[in-house]
Amino acid sequence: MDPEQLDEFVMGYLKKKGFNGAAKQLQDALHHNNNNNNGTGSSSSFNSTDYHNDPELTKLIRSFSQSENDPTRYRNGYSNLRSWAYNSLDLYKHELLRVMYPVFIHCYMDLVGKGHTQEARAFFNSFRKDHEMIHLRDLQKLEGVLVPSHLEEMEFARSLRQSKVNIKICQYSYDLLLQYLHRTESTLMLGIINEHINFQVYSGQPNSSSDDIDAVTIVGSFQETADHVNQKEIQWGLLEDSLEDRLEKTGSLLTDSEKGQGESKDGDVDDSNKKRSTEIGKQGSSLKKLKKDKAGNATAKVARQETSTVSPAPRVKSELALPVMSTDVEESILEDLRNRVQLSSVAMPSVSFYTFVNTHNGLNCASISHDGSLVAGGFSDSSIKVWDMAKIGQAGSGALQGESDTNDQVAGPNSRRNYTLLLGHSGPVYSATFSPPGDFVLSSSADTTIRLWSTQLNANLVCYKGHNYPVWDVQFSPFGHYFASCSHDRTARIWSMDRVQPLRIMAGHLSDVDCVQWHPNCNYIATGSSDKTVRLWDVQTGECVRIFIGHRSMVLSLAMSPDGRYMASGDEDGTIMMWDLSTARCITPLMGHNSCVWSLSYSGEGSLLASGSADCTVKLWDVTSSTKLTKAEEKNGNSNRLRSLRTFPTKSTPVHALRFSRRNLLFAAGAISKPTS
Amino acid sequence: MSIVPKETIEVIAQSIGITNLSPEAALMLAPDVEYRVREIMQEAIKCMRHSKRTTLTASDVDGALNLRNLEPIYGFASGGPIRFRKAIGHRDLFYTDDREVDFKDVIEAPLPKAPLDTDIVCHWLAIEGVQPAIPENAPLEVIRAPAENQIYQQKDGPLIDIRLPVKHVLSKELQLYFQKIAELTMSKSNPSLFKEALVSLASDSGLHPLVPYFTNFIADEVSRGLNDFLLLSNLMHVVRSLLQNPHIHIEPYLHQLMPSVVTCLVSRKLGNRFADNHWELRDFTANLVALICKRFGNTYITLQSRLTKTLVNALLDPKKALTQHYGAIQGLAALGHNVVRLLVLPNLEPYLSLLEPELDAEKQKNQMKSYETWRVYGALLRAAGLCIHDRLKIFPYLPSPSPSFLNKGKGKIINTEPNKRKLSVDSSSTMQVDKPMGDDNPPQNSVQPSSSGQASDGAPESRNAKEKEGSKGRAITMKAILDQVWKNDLDSGRLLVKLHQLYGDRILPFIPSTEMSLFL
Repeated sequence: MDPEQLDEFVMGYLKKKGFNGAAKQLQDALHHNNNNNNGTGSSSSFNSTDYHNDPELTKLIRSFSQSENDPTRYRNGYSNLRSWAYNSLDLYKHELLRVMYPVFIHCYMDLVGKGHTQEARAFFNSFRKDHEMIHLRDLQKLEGVLVPSHLEEMEFARSLRQSKVNIKICQYSYDLLLQYLHRTESTLMLGIINEHINFQVYSGQPNSSSDDIDAVTIVGSFQETADHVNQKEIQWGLLEDSLEDRLEKTGSLLTDSEKGQGESKDGDVDDSNKKRSTEIGKQGSSLKKLKKDKAGNATAKVARQETSTVSPAPRVKSELALPVMSTDVEESILEDLRNRVQLSSVAMPSVSFYTFVNTHNGLNCASISHDGSLVAGGFSDSSIKVWDMAKIGQAGSGALQGESDTNDQVAGPNSRRNYTLLLGHSGPVYSATFSPPGDFVLSSSADTTIRLWSTQLNANLVCYKGHNYPVWDVQFSPFGHYFASCSHDRTARIWSMDRVQPLRIMAGHLSDVDCVQWHPNCNYIATGSSDKTVRLWDVQTGECVRIFIGHRSMVLSLAMSPDGRYMASGDEDGTIMMWDLSTARCITPLMGHNSCVWSLSYSGEGSLLASGSADCTVKLWDVTSSTKLTKAEEKNGNSNRLRSLRTFPTKSTPVHALRFSRRNLLFAAGAISKPTS
Repeated sequence: MSIVPKETIEVIAQSIGITNLSPEAALMLAPDVEYRVREIMQEAIKCMRHSKRTTLTASDVDGALNLRNLEPIYGFASGGPIRFRKAIGHRDLFYTDDREVDFKDVIEAPLPKAPLDTDIVCHWLAIEGVQPAIPENAPLEVIRAPAENQIYQQKDGPLIDIRLPVKHVLSKELQLYFQKIAELTMSKSNPSLFKEALVSLASDSGLHPLVPYFTNFIADEVSRGLNDFLLLSNLMHVVRSLLQNPHIHIEPYLHQLMPSVVTCLVSRKLGNRFADNHWELRDFTANLVALICKRFGNTYITLQSRLTKTLVNALLDPKKALTQHYGAIQGLAALGHNVVRLLVLPNLEPYLSLLEPELDAEKQKNQMKSYETWRVYGALLRAAGLCIHDRLKIFPYLPSPSPSFLNKGKGKIINTEPNKRKLSVDSSSTMQVDKPMGDDNPPQNSVQPSSSGQASDGAPESRNAKEKEGSKGRAITMKAILDQVWKNDLDSGRLLVKLHQLYGDRILPFIPSTEMSLFL
């Protein structure tokens, strides 16, 4: 290539890329050169002749000019990079392989963007297997993208294009990669990597490949936003003056000295609350440590007292005006709390299972009231059916006196209809929820409405219209009156029973919001979404205060620990993740289910987590050991595994709903599915 | 490129009346069609998830179309998942079976039954962490597998679990149940209740934890209560019920169970009273043994061989009591005709010669002894007879004899049946056992000689005729079969002749008349 041509090409390139200013300058420079045959051009600020003399640069430019539009370059470049990465040193391999996925999807999208549909498809199919294990769902989405316009239309593709992937990589791996790219002059790959990957290089040895959850899966711009958001402080403590507190104070569970200490501690924390210092969590934990030491010293300890003292959650004030509880309701709750069975890894709960029969594949959701006596089912034929298990038990067989502490009893085979039919929706009912005393039912439906029903009048009271698309989930707040809903329209909304307009709209999820759950102190709600994240929102301000990233598929269920410190979320693949709310970090994934986790529930004192899944099992997890482990893990840097305590298989009933009653009896519900022959 | 070929686009375009679609347009549309279809599927999967299902249905797709403000596709909704059929000759082409329905049929058909109404049933999935073994819960084997996994998980987890030595915890209910059953088995005072207990043992799903206790109980009681006939009988009934229960895995306990069962079959003395019908118990146990061999013979290959060895040893030991011989013969007979043919028939001649002197009623003074001898003789006759009957039945029927013959033969078999049973079952007196010896069963004998006389000349002829008939169609194969049949017939013939020698006319009731006509 002679200089003239080279000039021309550089000119064309600059113009094509829209660097008009530079092109003009170049032209001027060239003119200048031509005019003053040979000489003073070098003194100008623009060294136009540089690239004529530098062979490296010439080669680079030539490679640009040769194959600007050659689709096979992507394939070759990628497959070379791939085989290099696979043959690299074992120690650094997994880090280098992380780079492959973003490169892969961007190669594919580049090819699509340039209109090489056929090549793009071929490229995609030949390398798809590499990434299927981790990124199957993303690949399925991207697979359909075939023409440039789809890239524009599809939100997922757009967000991929606009954002950078953060990859943590150790210094040596990074050097290796750069060396390789320079040595082989794979400028195309280099370009893609520069354009779409943001390396976070750290010195030292590469990380072990097991804890790569946040290193690989985050694809999207909001990692930074998430980091930023997660800096905000939250008060995860329990409400002050809760019933549990009152019980502790009145119930003479604590010895006098401890009681005194408990009170002083409460005062302490209240002060810090008023200051709204960020230290709250730390203070709580330091207090806890102090307390724990003390607990360790005191030898004569009953297990009951221990559990009540191990996790003294800080107390916070409610930011919502909470409804006033009637005294008899309060009394019954206190009574329940007093009779609560203490559960731990050695004291397992009893599980009562409500099986729906003859649903004809129509049961979409099930819900159990707080005392387990009412069961509601939402059906695809728009109906809601509510069973009063206590009544059925009385009518059927009063012979069972043994379980007098619970209302459930074996239902007698009654010929007449023994449920209440609630009709009003005009689309499949996707969710139902009972108010804490069990006097109201809320239901959400594909007809975009939420309806409030009275279980005493058996009638529809209010219809809440606000969402524009099917409402996937609705949940009463722990104190009633307020409720939260989430929808296909990518918003979650807070409502109160007395207003037909939502009080808050939480927008921010990048896809459907699939499930919603209240924090025990009512100041926050958590939402799980098809964008594979869980977010925590401040109810008062409507702001997103936490983003939890780590799931690999859509989030289907959420549960908050009773002390407000932890949250569990279950996804489509059967993974359950336990999160620390204050740090927004995943404590540990709970693997074990092999199908959708429909439902999660913490036991009353938070020591056990129950999960119900489409694989027809209820599993119990020991969450206290996991949290203890993390502390050990922080010291050791050890990866841990959570303990699955028990698995209760049902005959062939996917578990739709779970609820621990206040007395720690676990209720589960599901529709029996006939095995397809 | 796109998985939707452009031909499909063209076909669809034609079907909706667009005839002048250019190939380029089709080519452009194809990828977009694929994209839209995927988009709809993505939404449909969301609908499926929120309906808490794992199988996509037509209604989910309709829901997705609704989300996109499109009209749903009518006519495909169904209660459950759609059944797809594979198109023959294509690897990945499926279609739904859509039969044409005659309107008349629909109108004339009776109203279908109203579907059952939705209901809730409640059961305990777990009680304090332990799953009760009730019919509502998944059966045991499902439970066992994850339990092992769990132990495994705990092992490699960072938590060190000190695994306590395995402790079998029986719930109070199960303990009560066991006590009750044991009482019933021992008391023998309430037969109707015991019968119900047996039914419960044979059907209840939660009894597996009790199996070791039951086997232990049975072994203990059998060894202790050999003099107590009723107890032994009850115990054997319990064994049978346990074997019948589909929810119990009894294999691991078979080794404990078998000795007691075999004892009840070949013990010298079962019960201490004269009236005790230990013959019946032996027959019952023989069937039990056969049942066990049939069910577990595949998993324990040595089971049957060991069992037959024991039995043959018992049979061939002349020092053993006749009752023991009887049990051994019944046990072997119950195991099948092949066992009898291979193990009993070769020993038949020496054994019978041993038995012969005892059979003579005049010589034998001891009434009891004579009865026992006749018992054994009857059992042996039955075993040999059934064996030869079976052999004759299998082969020579291939070129089927004329229906009248067949009927006659069948009739014979049925006729002989009660007689056999009498031989083995009826215990009231020696009279009936004596009968076959005394006057040779007049009704049967009167028929048989006549039929044999008739057919002795006619049968080969008819067989020849059959052969000719067959040769028209498939001469060669038929011939091969016939050869085989002849050979087998020859074997059976020899056997038959031998048996006839040994038993005289008493074997005749077991032989179908056609064969009799041939061989005798």
